[in-house]
Amino acid sequence: MEYRFLPKKGIAPFVTGLLKDFKVYGPVEKDGFPMYGEITSPKDIHLSHAPTHLSPKQFLFPPKETILRFKNGAKPALEPVIEAHNQALFGIHSCDIHAIKLLDRVFSYGPRDVNYLKRRDKTVIIGIDCVPDKYCFCKSVNTMTVDSGFDLFLHDVGSGFVVEVGTQTGKNLLYKNAKTKKATMKEIKKIKEIRDKKAEMFVTKLNAEASTLPLIYSGSYNSPVWEKIGKICYGCGSCNNVCPTCYCFDVRDEIKTNLTEGERFRVWDACTLEDFAKVAGGHNFRKTRAERLRHRFNRKFQYLADKFGGLFCVGCGRCIRTCLVNINIAEVTNELIEEANKDRS
Amino acid sequence: MKNRHKPKVAFFSFTCCEGCQLQVLSCEDELPDVLSLVDIVNFREAIDEKRDDYDIAFIEGSISRQHEINEIKKIREKAKVVVALGACSATGGLNCLKNRFPMEEVQRVVYGDKAKKYKHLDTIPARPIDAVIPVDYYIHGCPITKSEFLYVLKSLLLGKKPEIPNYPVCVDCKMEGNICVFEKGMTCVGPVTRAGCSAICVTYGCICWGCRGLIDNPNLEAHEETLKRYGLTTEGVLRSFDLYGGWRSR
Ligand code: SF4
Ligand code: SF4
Ligand code: SF4
Ligand code: SF4
Ligand code: SF4
Repeated sequence: MEYRFLPKKGIAPFVTGLLKDFKVYGPVEKDGFPMYGEITSPKDIHLSHAPTHLSPKQFLFPPKETILRFKNGAKPALEPVIEAHNQALFGIHSCDIHAIKLLDRVFSYGPRDVNYLKRRDKTVIIGIDCVPDKYCFCKSVNTMTVDSGFDLFLHDVGSGFVVEVGTQTGKNLLYKNAKTKKATMKEIKKIKEIRDKKAEMFVTKLNAEASTLPLIYSGSYNSPVWEKIGKICYGCGSCNNVCPTCYCFDVRDEIKTNLTEGERFRVWDACTLEDFAKVAGGHNFRKTRAERLRHRFNRKFQYLADKFGGLFCVGCGRCIRTCLVNINIAEVTNELIEEANKDRS
Repeated sequence: MKNRHKPKVAFFSFTCCEGCQLQVLSCEDELPDVLSLVDIVNFREAIDEKRDDYDIAFIEGSISRQHEINEIKKIREKAKVVVALGACSATGGLNCLKNRFPMEEVQRVVYGDKAKKYKHLDTIPARPIDAVIPVDYYIHGCPITKSEFLYVLKSLLLGKKPEIPNYPVCVDCKMEGNICVFEKGMTCVGPVTRAGCSAICVTYGCICWGCRGLIDNPNLEAHEETLKRYGLTTEGVLRSFDLYGGWRSR
């Protein structure tokens, strides 16, 4: 692993350099809150190191994207649409890099999702160390640090950034756009010091080993907790939509007023919404909000972990922050852990 | 396409500001196409012609006078398909705010002391049109969006059932990348309101007032708790729910 040292004032020219070859998305401030947005000048960047309200998945898997254009009538025609451009995701936190690695697996599983994968191919990822807020619990699901899945990773060591080089692409970008020098041992050691400090900062924690969670969830199907949270849930889908690993979508067609040409597009869907599991004929196999939440939580901690290996909750805490009725995936998991411990004793 | 029977479409207006008809008229780019697909036989805002042989009736406005009940029933008898156009028609809309007061007082405040003498001012509690006649499809919003109007029209012409969202505005709001107004010290009724507007009010710095009406199964108890937790009084909660939900909460 190569480590370079980039002084703080080197960030602006580095970003300016990136802007020549990429659309750049990075941390900005929206209405005073941390968000990811398009960066058109280094001045737009707001490096607060705080978690953002929406995840960066929107740049790889947009909320709405056209996938096909069609024409009916005498000469029917179909044209697949893949929209992808060179993009740099700047200032991505380790939980979200883990999430992108999971999405990579999902979208390459079975029939490859060309729209996602093409976009992913044209994406470089530049990570950065972050500071947990009261919702973050990455440490409990082993996503507090990351050793792959990025092209470059910036560690703010006070005097400047130690830049960890993840790929050759990253290295080329760094050498092309910034004046760096080899990081000293002292500077590299600082990364661990900062990490150790971060590890002590978490307010939200899970009370069991991450590896035991699929088993705990598998025994929780009849827990009273589902009814309890189902009663207060809106079924509003916000938890899905802010989650960096939720990837469900719906496919719809839109036809022009000439009734011959149109587009097929996909939009985010969410398993907490009432009509998500409604099938032809009107039957709904997850009618209640309790059933839908149980499904969502199990997807994160059991079903997908079994299928893809690795928990699908990366502990980013966004679903906790967004939920207006305070349904807290960490608290619920801790309740299930407690129930499991009681059952065993 | 040429020999196809062109469906006849009529627009009617009851108690409202006629803003939803204006939205229809502002579909300038699409109107030529629309006119090649349908005959418009009745549209007071746009044409002088008036015929009674229509297939699809788009009806805006709520029912708030006795004689409107007879009029709308006649429309229902003639039309094969009735579409409620806009909040006033679909849910009762803002008009239902008057229902909080005795009808005589409403009549006097609006038309003066002589109002009682005129039969056509026979005000009754405002209601959505489906409180009077069966309605086939609903286009929500105050005002409606052009795109949803066109979508419903196109679906009907293609013989497809229009899919109107049955999920809350929060979905649209997140897809637009908004910061939730609750984070900013405000409140809204988005979590119980039907989406389909791209959360336009929140996107432009306001709150969701609930103009598109409720989703099919809103968790109102939960939202009442939320609004209280964010500092609203019981009165304030009722006011939030009643702005566009007056008929339902009667
Ligand atoms: S969950 Fe962890 S990695 Fe993600 S933003 Fe919070 S502290 Fe950073
Ligand atoms: S858990 Fe919260 S955010 Fe998720 S659907 Fe229910 S109310 Fe919405
Ligand atoms: S389930 Fe919640 S905490 Fe876990 S990754 Fe998704 S949004 Fe983050
Ligand atoms: S601002 Fe309103 S509509 Fe938007 S997410 Fe928040 S509660 Fe939902
Ligand atoms: S955000 Fe709310 S008030 Fe505004 S158009 Fe949508 S439903 Fe109506």
